[in-house]
Formats: sequence, C-alpha cells, structure tokens
Amino acid sequence: MTEMLEAFRLVAAPDVPIAILASAIYGLVVGSLPGLSATMATALLVPVTFYLSPIAAVATIITASAMAIFSGDIPGCLLRIPGTPASAAYTNEAYAMTRKGQAELALGAGLWFSAIGGIVGTLSLVLMAPLLAEMALSFSTFEYFWLAFLGLMCATLVARSSPIKAIAAMLLGLLIACIGMENPAGTPRFTFGIPDLLGGVEIIPALVGAFAVSEVIRAMVTPEPPPIPRRKFGSILAGQWQLTKKYQLPMWRGNLIGIIIGVLPGAGADMAAWVSYAMAKKFSKEQEKFGTGHPEGLVEAGASNNASLASGWVPALLFGIPGDTITAIAIGVLYMKGLNPGPTLFTERADSMYALYIIFILANIIMIPLGIGMIRVATLVLRAPRSAVMPVILLLCAVGSFATGNNLFAVILVALFGCLGFVMERNGYPVAAMVLGIVMGAMVEQNFITSLIKSDGDVMPFIERPVSGVLAAMTFGALLWPAGVWVWRRFGGGRLPAAETPR
Amino acid sequence: MQLSDRVTGAVLVVLGGVAAYAGSRLPAVPGQDVGPAAFPMLIGIGLVICGVLIALGIGRSFEVAEAEAPAGQGSRRLAGLRALIPPALLLFYVLAADRLGFLPTAAVIVLVMALALGARLRLAVPLAVVAPVLIHLAFYKLLRVPLPAGLLPVPW
Amino acid sequence: MNGISRRGVLGSAAALAATPLARPALAQPRWPSRPVQMICPWAAGGGTDAVLRIIAALLEKEFGQPFNVVNRTGGSGVVGHAAIAQAQPDGYTLGIITSEICMLHWQGLTEITYRNYTPLALMNNDPPGIHVNASAPYKDVKALADAIKASRPGQLKASGTGQGGSWHLALAGWLVAMGLKADHVRWVPSNGAAPAMQDLAAGGLDFTTCSVPEARAMLDAGRTRTLAIMAPERLSVFPNIPTLKEVTGVDYQTGSWRGIAGPAGLPAEVKAAIEPALGKVFQSQEYKDFLNARGFGMVYADAAGFARYMEQADKSLGDAMKAAGLAKA
Repeated sequence: MTEMLEAFRLVAAPDVPIAILASAIYGLVVGSLPGLSATMATALLVPVTFYLSPIAAVATIITASAMAIFSGDIPGCLLRIPGTPASAAYTNEAYAMTRKGQAELALGAGLWFSAIGGIVGTLSLVLMAPLLAEMALSFSTFEYFWLAFLGLMCATLVARSSPIKAIAAMLLGLLIACIGMENPAGTPRFTFGIPDLLGGVEIIPALVGAFAVSEVIRAMVTPEPPPIPRRKFGSILAGQWQLTKKYQLPMWRGNLIGIIIGVLPGAGADMAAWVSYAMAKKFSKEQEKFGTGHPEGLVEAGASNNASLASGWVPALLFGIPGDTITAIAIGVLYMKGLNPGPTLFTERADSMYALYIIFILANIIMIPLGIGMIRVATLVLRAPRSAVMPVILLLCAVGSFATGNNLFAVILVALFGCLGFVMERNGYPVAAMVLGIVMGAMVEQNFITSLIKSDGDVMPFIERPVSGVLAAMTFGALLWPAGVWVWRRFGGGRLPAAETPR
Repeated sequence: MQLSDRVTGAVLVVLGGVAAYAGSRLPAVPGQDVGPAAFPMLIGIGLVICGVLIALGIGRSFEVAEAEAPAGQGSRRLAGLRALIPPALLLFYVLAADRLGFLPTAAVIVLVMALALGARLRLAVPLAVVAPVLIHLAFYKLLRVPLPAGLLPVPW
Repeated sequence: MNGISRRGVLGSAAALAATPLARPALAQPRWPSRPVQMICPWAAGGGTDAVLRIIAALLEKEFGQPFNVVNRTGGSGVVGHAAIAQAQPDGYTLGIITSEICMLHWQGLTEITYRNYTPLALMNNDPPGIHVNASAPYKDVKALADAIKASRPGQLKASGTGQGGSWHLALAGWLVAMGLKADHVRWVPSNGAAPAMQDLAAGGLDFTTCSVPEARAMLDAGRTRTLAIMAPERLSVFPNIPTLKEVTGVDYQTGSWRGIAGPAGLPAEVKAAIEPALGKVFQSQEYKDFLNARGFGMVYADAAGFARYMEQADKSLGDAMKAAGLAKA
C-alpha cells in the first residue's frame, strides 16, 4: 500500500502531468498526419526524454503512442488515408460512414473503444503480467509461423471484392516484402542494384503511397463528389454508449485478441487491428453490411489495437523483449532511466511500476476529452474544398515519408505506390490486402525458414508442439471451411439457410 | 485506368513468372536447406495461379459493383494524364528540394495541385504561401526533420 | 542551416551548389562556426542512436554550437554510412560509424570501406557473450565448447542476429579459433537479438552469441545464463562474467563497435578541435553514467588508435566472413 501511495506521489510530481498533457497533444497531432506513424512519434520523443525525470520520460512514451494509435483513425475516416498501419484494416469502413454523414460517430467509436481497449489492456498488464509473459515465452518460431499465416488469411475477409483478387493483392504485398536483404538468408533480393532497396520497402512509404497518394490521384480524375450531408450530430459519447450496449461481444473479443496479439513479440497493434476486424466480420450477424459504413468492425478493431499497445509492455517490462516497434524504443528509454526491465522491476521498483499503471489509465482517460476536441477540429476538413485539402495532403505525403529516414528515396517509393494503389483500386484489387502482405511478409518467411533450420528440415514440429498444433488446426479449418461450404451448396442441393439469418 | 480482368490477370501471370524465375536463380546459402529462393518462387507461383483465375473470370461473382461516378466529361486520355500530376509532383520534390529548398518546392507543388483541382487563384496563391510555412514549422522545429534550406532559408 | 541532406554523389554535388547561397560568405574564423550535422545510419530509438545523441549533447556543451543528430536509415546501414563518407569534408557533417562498415563491403553491398572516413574516436565496443538457457546442462563455457566439439556438424543451433551479422561472425570466428569449421554449429538467423533471446528462453536454441546488454533482461530474469564474453577483459558492468580466454584458453575477441568519424580529408583544424573534445566526452561522468546505465562496453581509442582498430577489425571480420562463406569472392 505504501508503494501505491508513493506511486501517486510520483505521478503527481509537477513535471509528470505536464509531460502527459504535452505528449498527448503531440501524439494526437503526429498520429493524425499521414506518413507519421505511432512508432515515429515515439522515436522522435527519445531525445526529449533525455531531459526528463524517469517517470515523466516513460509517461511521454506511453501517452504519445496511445494517442497516435487513436488519431491514426482520423485521416483514415475523413479522407480514406490511414494515419498509421494499424488503421489501414478498417479505413474503408470508416470512410464509408463518413460518406453517410456519420463522421462523428465513426471517429467517436474509434476514440471511445480505443480508450476502453487501452484501459482493459492496462488491467491485463496489472493483473496478469506474469501469466501473459509465460505465454509469450512459450511461443517459438513454429507458433509464430502459424500466427502470421492466420494473419495473412484475413486479407480475404477485410475486402469487399473477389477473394481471388484479394489473395493476388496480398501475394503482391508478400512479393514486395521480399525486396532487400532483411531476409533469413541475408541475401539481397530484387534490389536491382539500388542500395536504398537493400533494407527493403518500408511500410510507411508504401502505406502513404497506396492510400494517400492514390486518393489524391483519384481526386484528379473524378469530379468533386457532392458535399456530404451535414447532419446535426449531438453528443459524440451518447452515440458510443448505444454502440457499447449493442456490440458488447465484439468489444470484448477485440480486447481479448488485442491483449493476446500484443503480448506476442513481433506482432503488435497492426496485426491486432487486422485480425479483429476480420473476426468481427466473420462472426457478425450482419456480414453483408461490412464495408458499407457499419460500426461493428470499428468497435472490435478500435478496442483491439489499443489493448495490444498496453499488453505489448508485458514482455518488454519482464524480459526486455519488445512486443512491437514502440516498446522496442521504450526499452531503450527504460534502461536510460535506470528502470531496467526484469522481474525485479515489479518487486524492487514496485512504486515506479504502479506509477506506470496509473499513467496508462490516465492517458486513456484524458484521451476522451482531448480526442473529442480533436474530432471537432478535424471534421472541419470535410467542409474545406477539395482543391485546398488535396494539395496539402500531397505535400504531407512527401515530407512525412521523407521524415521516416531523412531519405528522399522514400518519396520516390511513395510516388510509385501511389500509381500502383490507384491502378489496383480501379480494377477491384483491395489495396489493404497488399498492405497486409507487406506488413506480415517478413514475419511469415522469417519464422518459416528459421523453423525449418531448427528442425533440420523436418515439418513435424509445425504440428507436433501443442500450441502450434492448435494453431495449425485453426488455420486449416479456416482454409477448408469456405471450400466445404461451396461444395455443400453446389452439390448438396442448396439446403443451406439463406445468408441472412432471422434474428 | 480501368483495365479488363484479362489484362490485369495477364500482368499478374507475367509478374509471378518473372518473380519465380528470378527467385530460382538466387544463390543458396550455406547452412540453410531452404534458401532465399523458396519464398519468391512460392509467391510467384501463387501469383501465376491467381492471375490465371482472374483472367478466366472466376470469382467475379463475389465482386460488388462499385457505384463509380462516370469518369470526367473531358476526354479519357486527358483524364489519364491528369492522374500523373501527383506522382510527377512528388518526383519534382525529390529532384528540386535540395536545390531550391523546401519552401519554394513546396509552394510550387501546392500551387500546381490546387490549380489542377480547379481552385481560383484567390485560394491557390495564399494556400501555396501559408501551407509550406506551417508544414515547415511543424516538421523542422517540432519534429526536427532536416528540411533543406536551399535558396530561401527560413528565419527560424 | 545547411543544405547537405542528400545521399549519393549527385546529391553532394547539388548540395555543393546550394550551400554557399544558404550561409553568409564570410571567412570562417574557427570550427565550428555554425551547427554541425551528425549522421546516424540507424533508426531513432536504437542503441547507436542513443550513443550518438548523448555524444552530440556533450559536444554541444563543449563547443557552444548545436550538434544535430540526423537519422539516415535504409539499406541495412549502407545509406547512412555512405552519406557520411560522401559528405563535404568541411567538418560540418560528421557521423557515427559502426562495425558494419567493415562487413558490408566484403559482401559486395557497397564500395565504401573504413578508408573512406577520417576516424576521430572509437567510443564504445560491445563484445559478444555466450548465453544459454538457464536449465541448460553446460556449467561453464568449457562444457559448452566440449559439447560443440563432440556434436555432429549442424546438430547444435545458435542465433543472435541475421545471417552474416556481427554475432554470426562472432560464432564463426570462435568456431574457427577452436579448430572447427565455421558452420559446425548451425546458425539460425533472427531479426535482431531480442527474438533470439526469446527463442533461447523458449527452448528453441542451444545458445546465442549476442552482446551482454542485449541479453541483460533475460539474464536478470533468471531465464538465461551468460557463460563468457569474447573480449580481452571483463566488463565493468558485469564483473562476474569471465572472458573466453580465462576459461578455455582460446583467445578470440571481437565486438560490435561504434565510433565517430567524418568523410575522408577533414581539415587539420577540425581534427585538432574535435579529437580532444571527444576524449573529454568519453571521460565525462555523463557519458560514463550513460554507458553504464545501458550496460554498453566502455572502450575508447583516439583517432590514430581508431584507425588501427578499424584496419584490424576489417581484416578479422573479413576472415570470419570468408570462413563462413559469406564474403563475395
């Protein structure tokens, strides 16, 4: 108990609330700019943390990353340009809601369920950290392979297009992920002698190009759409309460999936959002509404990506193993500030740990008022003429992607992916599936190859180990299920109930 | 840029074939039974299969016809050229940013884009002046991104 | 305010054309008379970035001019290293170079070698450790070495970084020094040290050869044990870990090092100013505290010493890469 009081005292130190507030606003702004991801927001904070007290330093990272993951939804919803890779999964859905005049509801859902996800994720960190850490440590490359494979299969679910085109787009993403020498063999592949390609195609330029620039191109060739009907929208939170009651199950499922994926090193918020959105669609009673501006997927995925953010700290704090790119940076800061990760952190520095928990909760609570303000300001963009918004977006694309590595090559990549994204979109190939392929490509290959090396080429460990066996069964089940349904419908006399089940 | 499924499918077949062939020629790595060649080959073959299926029109029934607004009244060829303006401006940024500096380059990009989208000069010119300055402030001062000064160094 | 922020020779030429316009054409009295750009070839938030940022902060205090850290990432370090080597040698673009510079050219990935730089100071070196799962039967590194010698080629598996990375070469060098073939232990490439340490704790590997700070959290958590380090002497932060030579008598040492350098042909005036300053930085309490906090190895060499060090490292890493079949013939 004395530790708890001490923790409150630590958080109440004058510099901590200031650090939280400042980094909250910073995170909201950076996350909402296309091209600047939550990881980037965190990395840019590191030099600042040099000058802060340990608790304030960690508070800036926690707060800024949580805010940035939420505010990545904003440009996705308003302009169909995801601010961070974690928002890419449900960008089309949120944008469809905006077209229906429900921008506030969509963004409010992102905000409300992000905050809930963040708080539930924190509780999992507080209550089950040792348990979750054991789970993370039981995952070897065999399990990761199946996990990544399951993640890839979400490609066909998130898009409203022919599954074959979705798979083709996903394979294209995997092929792009092959570029460079960051593969298990360390061999340069498809680099065409360009040194900039040795490190591979980074996800941010690809994301910015495929979504943002292609959207700008689309604006060039289509007439200005009719203005979005301006509906009087009351309190943002009131609408969210109804959604919470209506979609309780998806919300909790999102939280759970987020926590699990967040704990597993290497997966992170991006994958959590994809998997949750796909799950929401798969198990929804109103599948056909997905993609037309239906909030159910936003509820689940919004909760999921923020839950994963908090639980990603579990392996980081206990074993110094980063759950995602954000905690990878955070670990460096923890060491710098003498908060060395390890079980002793929970016993000997319990006051600091409690202080971290309090900061997590605080950050997710102040996210709501600040986020509402941000939404009110951001929706003004919808009233600005397209000829004023699009030029600024294009400029932001150039500067934002340049900023990822201060390398102009990224801007060239953005231009190329812009053209590619535009052509794909026009011809019914879901761009989101390609992005998923790029995100997951390295993980699939890395774990497949290293597993084979470890087992001397034997495939049995892929299904022998208990957890990998379960994951393998899930993968094959998910693969064979649609085929089975198709065969049944085709030859079984079509006695299946119609797609719409009466409720 | 609306192409038939036959064309995009064929493109995928070619791309997959090239990827698989180029992948198969990658050297093996000592100590790895499955070398760097395996994955590109697998993906290439997958792309070929998908391409063939798409070209044959299988799976099209799942597609939801998009309520696409009819392409602009102008001739289609002109529309195609307009599509190239944004990527061309990005390449302009790459080539000119270091020589001209960030502010002039950015102003040109914003001005051209705004005019191309039909903005009046009354909107486009102030936008081209204000937007680069604000973005420069945010990225250079707040995020410490080394934007080139070039011909027009900023006073901050 | 300078305009040098572009890779490649073409970029340097462009910058050359642009910079005179950007700054007053006054005779420059003393270096540094304007902000200095420090290039980091690795991403913000990583270890190299942290080292450079603390050095830059201390240099700033020393000279009263801003030392701005710029991360120029891409191409597995190639892009940033090239940016330093190809910058204008006027002393206003310096950077941090890492052991990769003595590896990339052997793989044929870049033309640039350590000779393209003006070495200024070696600021840190992290020797590889040898880590095993806490429940592994090996009592000390001698037991592990015996087990390796008794094993079939490829039977034991080790990891720590990607194929051809520093820690892979450390393993290859150690095996060769023991009189074995460089691939006697199968290398499992991993995406950095953290996943390798996780897999070691999960029981998927026999041992890892990453640095001790990278293994530290697992070590503290009691999940892994560190048997030895491949260094000439024990680390000040981890005095209980013996060196390889102490236990087995095999004298093999290597490391992942970081040093400050500028492009080749830096003016003598700049060198005269910065060399003692870097020495002072290394001696400062802030720098020592920082290295200790992160567990980074405290190794220093002045400009001449750094040059010799790199020459030697280039040869030894090259030998290890050839032995492991990683060098391009």
